[in-house]
Amino acid sequence: MLLSSPTSPSFSVLHWLKADARHFQILFQVIFLCYGIYMLHWEASPMKYFITFATVLLVQWCFNNYHREVFNYKSAFITGLSLCLMLKVNNPFTLCIAGSIAIASKFWLKANDKHFFNPANIGICLTMLFTDDAWISPGQWGSRALLFFLIGTAGFLVLFRIKRIDTALAFLITFLVLQYLRQIYFLRWEQDFFIHQLNSGTLLLFTFFMITDPVSSPRNNVARIMWAAAVAGLAFYLQTFKWINGAPIWALFFLSMTTPSIDYLFKGNKFNWK
Amino acid sequence: MLLLLALYHIDAFAFCGFYVAKADAKLFNKSSQVIIARNDDQTTITMSSDFNGDVKDFAMVIPVPVVLRREQIKTVNRSLFDKLDAYSGPRLVEYYDSNPCSVREELLESKSVSAAMATTESVKQKLSKDEVADVVKIEARYTVGEYDILLLSSTESAGLEKWLTTNGYKVPPGAAEVLTPYIKSNMKFFVVKVNIDILNSSGAQLLNPLQVNFNSPKFMLPIRLGMANATQSQDMIVYTLTKSGSVETTNYRTTEIPSNKNVPEFVKDVFGKFYVDLYKNAVHREGRGTIFCEYAWNLSGNNNVKCDPCPTPPPIISELQRAGVDWLHHNEWGNYSGDLFITRLHVTYDRQHFPQDLVFQETPNRENFQARYIITHPAQGDVSCTEGKTYVAELKKRRYKELLTLANLTNWDTEEFYDYPTRWRSFKLQMDEGFIPIQKATETNPVHRLKASNQTQHNDSIVRDQTTTTITAVQHDALTMDCENNFTPKYQQSKAGTDGDKNRSYLLAVIFIWLVWKLFKWFKGI
Repeated sequence: MLLSSPTSPSFSVLHWLKADARHFQILFQVIFLCYGIYMLHWEASPMKYFITFATVLLVQWCFNNYHREVFNYKSAFITGLSLCLMLKVNNPFTLCIAGSIAIASKFWLKANDKHFFNPANIGICLTMLFTDDAWISPGQWGSRALLFFLIGTAGFLVLFRIKRIDTALAFLITFLVLQYLRQIYFLRWEQDFFIHQLNSGTLLLFTFFMITDPVSSPRNNVARIMWAAAVAGLAFYLQTFKWINGAPIWALFFLSMTTPSIDYLFKGNKFNWK
Repeated sequence: MLLLLALYHIDAFAFCGFYVAKADAKLFNKSSQVIIARNDDQTTITMSSDFNGDVKDFAMVIPVPVVLRREQIKTVNRSLFDKLDAYSGPRLVEYYDSNPCSVREELLESKSVSAAMATTESVKQKLSKDEVADVVKIEARYTVGEYDILLLSSTESAGLEKWLTTNGYKVPPGAAEVLTPYIKSNMKFFVVKVNIDILNSSGAQLLNPLQVNFNSPKFMLPIRLGMANATQSQDMIVYTLTKSGSVETTNYRTTEIPSNKNVPEFVKDVFGKFYVDLYKNAVHREGRGTIFCEYAWNLSGNNNVKCDPCPTPPPIISELQRAGVDWLHHNEWGNYSGDLFITRLHVTYDRQHFPQDLVFQETPNRENFQARYIITHPAQGDVSCTEGKTYVAELKKRRYKELLTLANLTNWDTEEFYDYPTRWRSFKLQMDEGFIPIQKATETNPVHRLKASNQTQHNDSIVRDQTTTTITAVQHDALTMDCENNFTPKYQQSKAGTDGDKNRSYLLAVIFIWLVWKLFKWFKGI
């Protein structure tokens, strides 16, 4: 009843959510961040968060101004949140580097009228490659069932809205099938060995909020699904045989470079957030 | 296929094998300590077992990535572990209040480090032939120190199990299933038993820790084999010595143990018990699948503060080299140069919550951390001046907070210490009456006892004038408020056990999904 009243505050909140899928994304990422800080006792430095958001918003504003575009603060805000959720640093200045790389990549690394790297992804990867000060903690979410449900359902909600659930499922299913074959079928570990990683917040966050970025992923539906499966394959290889931590993030980074060619070969419609 | 095999070949080294007895002696596998020194892929692992049965029964099976050469295996002195344990263990720090009424105001706060170290010992919990010759191959055979070591390779777990059994090792039931994944990964098995003749001739009473070094990209410790003969949880302390920064696990959550808390004075007398209960409570609160960081410190040559406070002197270069740190250089000051970071991780693992082996990563995180608890002694002498009265009032509040902190950290029933805030001069633990702080409080609410203590004038403050009465009254109000705000919810919370938490999680998850579904339906409707 409350929801149907056009004058009630909740009505306007829900309209705000409906207006743009990014609003959902912002809401859920804020919830995850709060969960991390209050429930998992992450080291929460207000200064680091402030620097991250200040950097991404400032760089975004500069680029928008230069190109005489409308200030796209939502996208920058999401990038900032992703960096806060994933990237750990010693020196706050490193966050400036990560934030700047992330936003700059949207304007400088473009092909076929769109950027082809997920901004947070390239920000995290290049900062880890070129500074000795940044890392990601794949274990930081623990493995609690509640979190699994939270990220899963929130992710589904956003992805239904932006019609990218196919990408998420293609990645997740490929990755898990490969892991299952290796761990359970080949190595004969018990079932809970496999289930343990399913509960990993990092994997789910990546699946629902990073690889599914509707702007930077390939436009053609079939090509995008194949591409997501390839990311899963590479992530599996890097994790299992090369012992690389946070393998899906690196796999996405490398395979994002193929997106311009895929878009050139397979045509699709340009994505619009609204 | 060749490539795959080559990749498996660099598979991980493993520790924490299960014990296999050569007789039916009662065996325990409660807690162990491991030192891992790692520089790039070069890894040195030193293992100290907690074996407390008859040494002639000691035997252990450890999966290893390659057939180790003789020079890659050695024994080291147990004192290395004692040194690292004492250096990095949780610590209690004492401060003394200065007397506010003292004419000569001493700004100097004396500070000392209590010798009360919660050693690993106290943290230990009661947790916690022929027909097979073709599937089991003896790759190498060495005698190192007091140990006879065999390196076996096998193609089939049942065969390996049978080999071990027929050769007099007591293999726990269910071991075959756990052995399979390691065999499939093309790992070798490092079988250790004690050579009694050598042990007797050396006159040693305790077994020396074994050390192996090898090159592997994997940074992990297999714990699954160790769980084959343990129904209860086991404790393990892992010390890592790395170049760049602290170490954390990637497949389990690593979090810091609660630290830098002000606790009551009497904790000094029961620090071991205090830390054990604090640790148990932290495990209960954070979830069983969590690993705790107890110490992380930059030990680089250029860092002059190698601990603060120092319960024992920091490890010297020869000790570090014994642990496998080979990248440091002596310098002319008797010191060393080079980067080094030590991390102490504490894990209580069991089969249910730790289905995977521990996988570590070295991070660039150079932030120091220590498990440190603070006690502050009240001022000595006459405190009857005006400042003194204010001081006493503040002191009682502070001691009350300390009690609340203690209850919150350890889940002790602080009813035992109800007069700790008021009897601030003479409060002593009744150790002779068999004092055992009880974890998990009863239904009794300590609030009432605390009130009662104030009403019955258990106050032994030497100041007995009008002002004091007022101060006591103010404090009484403050105490009641504190109790109502902090104590009651805590005990309510503590009553909900693990099952309660789980049920609550499921309920919340269901409510959340229902809400999301409603939202989604509504959202599609507009």
